Amino acid sequence: MRKMNWLKQILTQIALVVIGFYVMVPIWGAIRLAFDGSLKSRPVEFRLFPKVFSLEPFFTVLDRPYQSVDFCQLLVNSMIVSIGAAFVALILGASLAYAFARFRFPGKKPALFVLLLAAMLPPVAFMTPLYIVLSMVQLRTTLLGLTLVYATFALPFCIWNMRAGFQSVSKELEEAAFLDGANSLQAFWHISLPLALPSITIAGLIAFLMGYSEFAMGWLFVSEAETVTLAMSIYAMVQSGNAQPWSILASMFIIMSLPIVIVFAFLQNTLLDRMLFISQKK
Amino acid sequence: MVNNKKGIKLLMVFAIIIVAALAGFIRWHALTTLNVDYDEDDYLRAAQQYTTIFRTGDWDALTETNYRPEHPPLAKIVFGISLLPLPEKPLIVDRPTSAGPNQYLPRDLLRNARITSAIFGTLTAILVALVDPVGGFFLAIHAFTTKYVSQVMLEALPGFTSLLSAFAYIQWKKRKNKSVGWLILAGLFLGLTAASKYIYCVVGIAIIVDWLILAIQKKEVKKAILPILGWGAISILVFFAANPYFWVDPLGRLQETILYYASYSSTATEVNNAGYPFWQPLVYLFSTPKSWQPNSILVAVDPLITIFAILGFKSQIKKQSLYAIWVLIALSFLFIYPVKWAQYVVILTAPLCIIAGEGFNKTILSPISSWFSRMRIKKSESKAVEGNDTKKALPWLIPGITVFVAFTILPLVFGIGVSLTNFNSVSIKDGFGGGIFREVWSGLTGKVKPVETEFPFRDKEVGYIGTNAYPSTMHYLTNSGVLFFNFFWTIVSVTLQTFLGLVAALLLRQNKVFLKKGWEILFILPWAIPEMIGALMWVNVFQPVTGWLSLGISQFGSGFPFSFLNGWQNSSEMQMLVLLIAGVWYGFPFMMLAASAGLKLLPNEVYDASAMDGANGFNKFRWITWPMLLPLLIPAVIIRSIFAFNQFYLFQVFPTGQLTMAGLSYNFFNPSGFFINGQFAISAVINVITVGFLVIFVMILNKWSNASEGVTYA
Repeated sequence: MRKMNWLKQILTQIALVVIGFYVMVPIWGAIRLAFDGSLKSRPVEFRLFPKVFSLEPFFTVLDRPYQSVDFCQLLVNSMIVSIGAAFVALILGASLAYAFARFRFPGKKPALFVLLLAAMLPPVAFMTPLYIVLSMVQLRTTLLGLTLVYATFALPFCIWNMRAGFQSVSKELEEAAFLDGANSLQAFWHISLPLALPSITIAGLIAFLMGYSEFAMGWLFVSEAETVTLAMSIYAMVQSGNAQPWSILASMFIIMSLPIVIVFAFLQNTLLDRMLFISQKK
Repeated sequence: MVNNKKGIKLLMVFAIIIVAALAGFIRWHALTTLNVDYDEDDYLRAAQQYTTIFRTGDWDALTETNYRPEHPPLAKIVFGISLLPLPEKPLIVDRPTSAGPNQYLPRDLLRNARITSAIFGTLTAILVALVDPVGGFFLAIHAFTTKYVSQVMLEALPGFTSLLSAFAYIQWKKRKNKSVGWLILAGLFLGLTAASKYIYCVVGIAIIVDWLILAIQKKEVKKAILPILGWGAISILVFFAANPYFWVDPLGRLQETILYYASYSSTATEVNNAGYPFWQPLVYLFSTPKSWQPNSILVAVDPLITIFAILGFKSQIKKQSLYAIWVLIALSFLFIYPVKWAQYVVILTAPLCIIAGEGFNKTILSPISSWFSRMRIKKSESKAVEGNDTKKALPWLIPGITVFVAFTILPLVFGIGVSLTNFNSVSIKDGFGGGIFREVWSGLTGKVKPVETEFPFRDKEVGYIGTNAYPSTMHYLTNSGVLFFNFFWTIVSVTLQTFLGLVAALLLRQNKVFLKKGWEILFILPWAIPEMIGALMWVNVFQPVTGWLSLGISQFGSGFPFSFLNGWQNSSEMQMLVLLIAGVWYGFPFMMLAASAGLKLLPNEVYDASAMDGANGFNKFRWITWPMLLPLLIPAVIIRSIFAFNQFYLFQVFPTGQLTMAGLSYNFFNPSGFFINGQFAISAVINVITVGFLVIFVMILNKWSNASEGVTYA
């Protein structure tokens, strides 16, 4: 293909700037609030840049962003819940994922359909039963309860994606292990699992993100201040209105999003495949 | 073979008889039980005037009589004829169009006129059944149509004649434009339609469009002009002939009518007060009038019929394009026309039901019949299926299935159980103490009868209510517009996301784009930011008073960019627009990445070949890129659609009244919410309904991506 001529280049750049503007408007709206040290409550004037550039809001957030809870506590809660949920989903889902990837058995096709359907359900579909069951066993308001809730949301998705991971490991490798006298658990543990680990990690990452950015179910299940997560605290701060400077809220947006943005930038293609439910790339 | 054909014919006759009986029965029930609606008193009064003219033989008065002159007289004259056998009654009083329904009309007059209307309504269903029995069945049970053709409204007669006009045109088309008789009939019926109610003439526009498309395809446009003019002339002649009011001073009276419409649609108080958004006709198609008068409307499955019509639309275009064009033109007209009364949807329900019949055949009947024939073949084959390794799988399957059942299946089954009770936040103690199991078990085993409860449920003890909550919840979903909004949102937001994503991907795909990688990273930002935070960022932009936009406008006046969006919270169209801005922002990067991944798979050779043939950029896209990319893009579109269908956080965060089913379910559930809270059972019902819709989505996904077979893409 030949190089673009300059006219085409300019037109392309104009179009890209328009899309880029659309992408940046809300992000910039948050950034310029986050670095504004002059805000006492809600913003009262239109500004493109912070009035008083300051990192103060970030320090406030990292110290004590919401009522009596400190940031570390929120972060720890978020991590316990979302990493915990990802691990529970991965560990519990592994055996079914492996069975789907490796064996033929009657009813496999309809079972896969049910799995795919379950992975497509909105979290609210599980809300009623989980609320009732967890209340009955008195786990509802605990972090363990919330971990189980998020694990339930993530489980079908994790099974589906781990299955894809196991499928990408060639069957011949395992068969070679069988010839050397390994049983199927050994073959799984020493061959399939390590080789499928990258895709399992991705599945875990997505499961983690579900818990990390969830707030609505969180507020439904949890009521005590000690068990609030980062995402939940943001929602609560929004609901409380103009009680504290908006710069704090905006800097929380940035602190919370930044790590994910970096991960996404590096893993975009793999994440896309997983979210497209693609199981094998030929 | 001959026997088979005879059998099919017999079956057809049988089906048509059933449709006729069903349509007649449902309309009879409606016409005997429906309350008097707006306008019925007006048309009955008009009919009385004609009855008097027929009785006295004062034919000159015919040219001067047309009560409610905005509508031509034919349908009113027919009502007048139906009153002839009845004893004369004093003329019904004249009231303004904005007056409420007059409940004190003479019952015998009302009944005769309604019966006349219902006869035409039933005939229309029979006509549709001639084309497609399933479509006829749909029209017979279509609740909005039933309501308005069973009242003294001007819908039934033009509905019938407009369909006849379409039929005649199609017959002419089938006979390769040779049989002029059919064309004359088509014009005749169109003229009669116009003489009953103008808006039904959309069928005429549809015929012209269909005709021109055909002529352009055959490159015989010049040849088509004369017949079109002739056909049009016939319909105009018939219109004037059937419209005695226009015999004297036709032009003046035509002008009077047009002026009336112009002023009515822009100034009438009832039109302005209604304040409907432009898509209101779609809301009607996705809802039913059942809640207006539950006892009169026996069947109310209009949304289902609309969904079948959507499913059948594409294949209907190939089969008989006129019906599809008719629906499209009628819908666009109703979008533009500022008056949005519910009865107007009747102008398109006949073709809609034909298309829905096609959709039903495509999605339900033919898969079943092909499944049967495959079963027959399978049975005849030997049972030598490849051996499976169930035994080896068992050690993995047993723990796996146990977990999956415990975490996923049981909660869903439990949810279905809750949906059969009236469990709510007041009966929470009983529910946790085993009340749900007790009630569902005794209900399902027939030990207790479903109890009667009223919504919202506030009973202290859990009670088994069977599936009673399902129909009422379904009606709530349709009548509150939530179901419609959910589908509308899915379609519009995903279409826009796909479009923008594709544009971005195509722009970046060009050779040597300056800062390519930088743009790419920038464009995936919205995807990486958690949905809730992205939504909050947009709230920060759009919030009334304190948002970025509001601040800008209050500081710099209305010259500020995008100031037209100010005050968006006051109209549902603008709310939709703002939600779309945020929703598309969040979703387009995913589509961009999917499109880029697809574009990389397209072979370069084809482009080189087309460059040699001198194809320009657009032609390359239209004939190479698009057709090759589409199959690769469809799984991504379906997955985005499922996400959009389930979208929840955006609506939870954005301060509008718009909700998806997921949001509604959450708000019904939330025991400390501001909504009708703590309705655990209703929330479960909504979730079960949602799962039902998702089954359809996943079936479509499965078909397109073969996801569950493990082979996708490339």
